Amino acid sequence: MKYHSQSFFYDDPWSIVSLAYFLRYPNPYASHIISCDVISRIVTPAGTLQTTRLILKRGSLPRWAPKGIISRAESWVLEESEVDPLGKTLRCTTKNLEFTKVMKMEESVFIRQTEDGQTAQTTEARVLSGFGWGLTKRIESHGLNRFKAHVQRSREGVSLILSLLRESRLQTMTLG
Amino acid sequence: MAQSLASECTPLKKEYDSCFNAWFEGYLEPAVSASSSPEKYSKYSQRKAEEFQQKCGSVWKEYKACVQKALKEKGLDAMLQQSREENPLSRPPPLPPSSNSSS
Repeated sequence: MKYHSQSFFYDDPWSIVSLAYFLRYPNPYASHIISCDVISRIVTPAGTLQTTRLILKRGSLPRWAPKGIISRAESWVLEESEVDPLGKTLRCTTKNLEFTKVMKMEESVFIRQTEDGQTAQTTEARVLSGFGWGLTKRIESHGLNRFKAHVQRSREGVSLILSLLRESRLQTMTLG
Repeated sequence: MAQSLASECTPLKKEYDSCFNAWFEGYLEPAVSASSSPEKYSKYSQRKAEEFQQKCGSVWKEYKACVQKALKEKGLDAMLQQSREENPLSRPPPLPPSSNSSS
């Protein structure tokens, strides 16, 4: 099992970052997302919002991937999130639904408000492969490398949405 | 990616997403007075949930039904069920309104 974690900050307040995160698809940095559907959504008794989304993404297979085992370049992932506007936290976990016998990958994002009114995001990835046949380490490293590249792209995507939101809010304000 | 897994559901998805996004912006910023006590917040979030039901309830119903049907037709409901059984996501219990912990 491989684990990786990365944290960074946004200058904007928690609520706008969370909104940008929820609106992150579509954005030019996420062209690999083919479809995204909400399959369940509830407001819990505690007032938090729990959402489950089913996402189809295009993946690029590494050259050494066993072709007989992974037959398609598209795969399903499940995203589960919980937003707490009172505690100002957003948790979001994404995991692959297919090819789990080859590799299990889970990405968890935690977005929270900091004491000085900024927003902190921590992203963790867990990659587990029980595939064996000498491929385990390579599969786990590959999954982790993809994750690292993805975190940066994801951050750029969210930042883009953030700047669009900021602009549109400014316009709304000046139009009074 | 503004697509649904089934093209016939995409118009419903777009309508639902717009409705939800508009509601969601308001939901993210609880009025300052609502955060002053757990009871007030609970009432506030109930009102928010009702507001969602009023504004988006019917499009959600239609969209959800469309997606459920598509999932069955594509044989995906089995995949979803299996993932829930294999790996029931044990999420940390929802934070009580008065606490402000960070993990």
